Amino acid sequence: MKRTIIAILALAFLCSGLGLAQAKHPSELKYPALTYEPPDPKAFRTVYAGGIRAYVQEDRSLPLFNISAVFNCGDLYVPKDKAGLGRVLADQLIKGGTTTKDGTAIEERIDFLGGSLNFMVGERTSTLSLSVLTKDLDEGLALFFDVLRNPAFREDPLKLAKARMVEQLRQANDNPSMVLNREYEKLLYGDNALTWQPAKATYESVTAADLKAFHAKYFTPKNVILAVAGDFSKAALKAKIEKLAAGWKGGAPVFPALPKGFPAPEPGVYFIQKAINQGYISLGHLGLEDTNPDYFAVQVMNFILGGGSFTSRITTKVRSDEGLSYNQGSRFAYRWGFPGTFSGYVQTKSSTVGYAISLILAEFDRIRREPVSDAEMETAINFYIESFADAFQSPIQTMSSFANLEMTGKPMDYPKTFRSRIQAVTKASVQEVAQKYVHPDQAVIMIVGDFEPCNKGGDKWPGPLDKLGKLHRIALIDPMTGQEMKTP
Amino acid sequence: MKQRILVLALAAAVLTAFALAGDVTLDVKEHVLGNGMKILMIPKPGVPRVVCHVYFKVGSINERPGITGSAHVHEHLMFKGTEVMGVTDYAAESKIDAEIDRLMGLVYREKFWKENGDAAKIAAWQKQVDELVAAQKAYIIKDDLWTQYMKNGGTGLNASTSQETTGYYVTLPSNKVELQMLMESDRMMNARFREFYSEKDVIMEERRLSENQPGYLFGEQVDAAFFTASPYHWDVIGWMDDLRKMTKEDLVEFHNTFYVPNNAVAIYVGDFDPKAVLALAEKYFGRIPKGPDLEPIRTGVPAQYSEKRFSGEGPAPTSLRMMFHVPPDGHADTAALGVLAATLGSGGGGGFRGGMGGGGGTGRLYKTLVRDKQMAVSASASSRPQWYVGAFQFNATPRLDKGVKPEDLEKEIWAEIEKIKKEGLTEDEIQKAKNRGEAAFVRSLASTSGLASRVGRAELKRGWRSILTDLDDLKKVTNDDVKRVAAKYFVKDNSLTAIYTRKSGR
Repeated sequence: MKRTIIAILALAFLCSGLGLAQAKHPSELKYPALTYEPPDPKAFRTVYAGGIRAYVQEDRSLPLFNISAVFNCGDLYVPKDKAGLGRVLADQLIKGGTTTKDGTAIEERIDFLGGSLNFMVGERTSTLSLSVLTKDLDEGLALFFDVLRNPAFREDPLKLAKARMVEQLRQANDNPSMVLNREYEKLLYGDNALTWQPAKATYESVTAADLKAFHAKYFTPKNVILAVAGDFSKAALKAKIEKLAAGWKGGAPVFPALPKGFPAPEPGVYFIQKAINQGYISLGHLGLEDTNPDYFAVQVMNFILGGGSFTSRITTKVRSDEGLSYNQGSRFAYRWGFPGTFSGYVQTKSSTVGYAISLILAEFDRIRREPVSDAEMETAINFYIESFADAFQSPIQTMSSFANLEMTGKPMDYPKTFRSRIQAVTKASVQEVAQKYVHPDQAVIMIVGDFEPCNKGGDKWPGPLDKLGKLHRIALIDPMTGQEMKTP
Repeated sequence: MKQRILVLALAAAVLTAFALAGDVTLDVKEHVLGNGMKILMIPKPGVPRVVCHVYFKVGSINERPGITGSAHVHEHLMFKGTEVMGVTDYAAESKIDAEIDRLMGLVYREKFWKENGDAAKIAAWQKQVDELVAAQKAYIIKDDLWTQYMKNGGTGLNASTSQETTGYYVTLPSNKVELQMLMESDRMMNARFREFYSEKDVIMEERRLSENQPGYLFGEQVDAAFFTASPYHWDVIGWMDDLRKMTKEDLVEFHNTFYVPNNAVAIYVGDFDPKAVLALAEKYFGRIPKGPDLEPIRTGVPAQYSEKRFSGEGPAPTSLRMMFHVPPDGHADTAALGVLAATLGSGGGGGFRGGMGGGGGTGRLYKTLVRDKQMAVSASASSRPQWYVGAFQFNATPRLDKGVKPEDLEKEIWAEIEKIKKEGLTEDEIQKAKNRGEAAFVRSLASTSGLASRVGRAELKRGWRSILTDLDDLKKVTNDDVKRVAAKYFVKDNSLTAIYTRKSGR
């Protein structure tokens, strides 16, 4: 309400400026004040009977109903000899049918209603999502809970899914960026649940009993958070959900031990041969967790280094100045419960692979050595603060992000404190975190490309590539067997 | 004062149009500026953000051999500044830029016009150019427009070029819409394509990225073979030869022809007051002079009179693609073809990527070829009406573990087609397609940038109301329509069949 009044005042101010002359340059523009307070997770949180936690927002603007169930459950809890179970589960929770309906009947019905029902299995969270028109709320919600509580994992659809997934393994080495991402993570995290890949044998070993046991263990009322938004009344929805969840049993699961103690790979060049006309490159090392107090300074630092698109140094140098690439930059990836990765990345024609890498390494070095400029700080901080409201445009996305915050144990005042914590970042803290989290001397440089032309280089950076560090050639894995392929 | 009265009078003339689909309205406020530029507004009170998009009725179909890819190259150059943006001293910088262009003109003639150009001359000119580029850098403010948007909280910042349209996107805080009006109108009038030559290098890298996607090169050839004469013949990225040889003059001519207000739509979706936004539109976009009227595309698709077959090998999955010529967007048969695609395809090709599960298993081809006969890993159908020439497409990948070949799937798909010609679809299938179309429409209203994109683009061709009339047309489709269009378009002489086999190599 407060915000609405301010917005109206702002518009009045805007209108009063109509008679003014046209501005020629953005620096001449004066903007009316605008304040925005993010929604408070507490205002939407509720606990249904049986201890089911939920974030719920009524949104009557359209006759739509959206619900998601986020479980603490994912690929990381799958043993090595069953790698791929998560993908099979993602497909079979719905297609495998329930105790009373077969999978096709469920899919047909949802489709007939013009709705959608999807299940996604991630690293440590899995999400079942339903979207239907309000008129179909009751039927949709009943199907949603049926799938969630009573999956039957029938044999025929399971057999078909496994056969299709084994067939799709043939594509595992086709796409250069998929190969790069997979092998880069393997190098940084080593051999554990974070990097295990399915093969023919592991897919084939997944049984209906495995899926049932996995489901029984993790799909419990204590291990789920719901996110709901749409055209309903909270009270009526509560009654419906409590009815559908009545008798749902199961406590908080005991989770398998998570991987820890990652290898420190030898810095240098790691080359994977593929007959293409560019090198696909990632260079970096492990990063940090987003619960680290340095997170905000790291975000600002990386925005300036290579995360802020055209305003960032790597894009300016590698793309805009030199014309070496279309896609380049740096990123900190975050994972729940583990340090994520820090990487510079670029794809460039074979002859400029070495040159592009050298430019990115130079930027890694510069941001450690010199303080960033006032203008760079202003752009980065203003971007985060001025664009903040963007995250709250869609009620279901907002509810889902609250559910995920709680699920992953993040502080629930994250939205409320985000802007002040970004504002508190200084030039000194940017340089400090650059020195702490960017280590060009420890970087592994992974390249997927055609070795001869990449190694030869070009005028501005003649090869060989081992000028950048010790050269390792990596053989691809045969996706069917999971064994190294013989050809280089 | 005088200006203000004018503005108020214009604001009063804004048409408010309500259009109904079921119980839900699509409410677009529309206004045409004196220079022909259209302003569309969809207010959605709530979070104080405004999606601001500008669309131009130009894309790769407006190119010709020799300048393929130029619509997209031009879109990139629109970020390189104007007389006031991206430059500290325009007078000094523009002299250097003109000299770079003159020398590069000499280089291009020597390199591209002669069979044995003088390498020494080229090297000498290139050296001079390199020095000038270095000198020019002193005056260039890198990616100024992008930085201005970012530091003012711009998100969704991008531009894209398709075969038919080009769009420029940003989402801003509600109090900063004027920034978009100022910078977009400035670059429509005063774009200066500095850094042209290095940007072409960037775009050639962009093309290589596509080339390195398994199966892209084959797909590009198949499209070229299917759209023989019409300008859908080439991909939006353009042929590498043209990217290498196109000149800045080509792009300036392109800009002056197509980037005129009477060929553009600006659309705003979000939390704003339409009167205030319209006043700003008058002030900034209203100042741009109107351009000449533009002629639609001339060349359609000539009848084939014979079946086309295409085969190739490379590093992508063995697969089958079947294409049929169908009429463009807005034709009386479009809705029935859409029902056919939804019923046959229903997303049966996807479902696995990124651990996605569920859905996608209700298409006829999935049920027959993937689930029951277990001959395909995936099988799908899609209908792309496009603006001038359409294509209906089937895609399938065979179960190699069962020894199935693409040709076997081709026979199966033809059998399904022949069945539909005789029996059509079931009432249930037709109703399902209608329900899905209607629900998808309601869902589209919940988005902001998605809605802007759909309404803005629709406005360029048949007007935004076509979104609603298309929905009405969908609701009227009968089984007789389905049988009729299947018989009319699914014939060999109207088709191209492409068979791709996995082999090593490109």
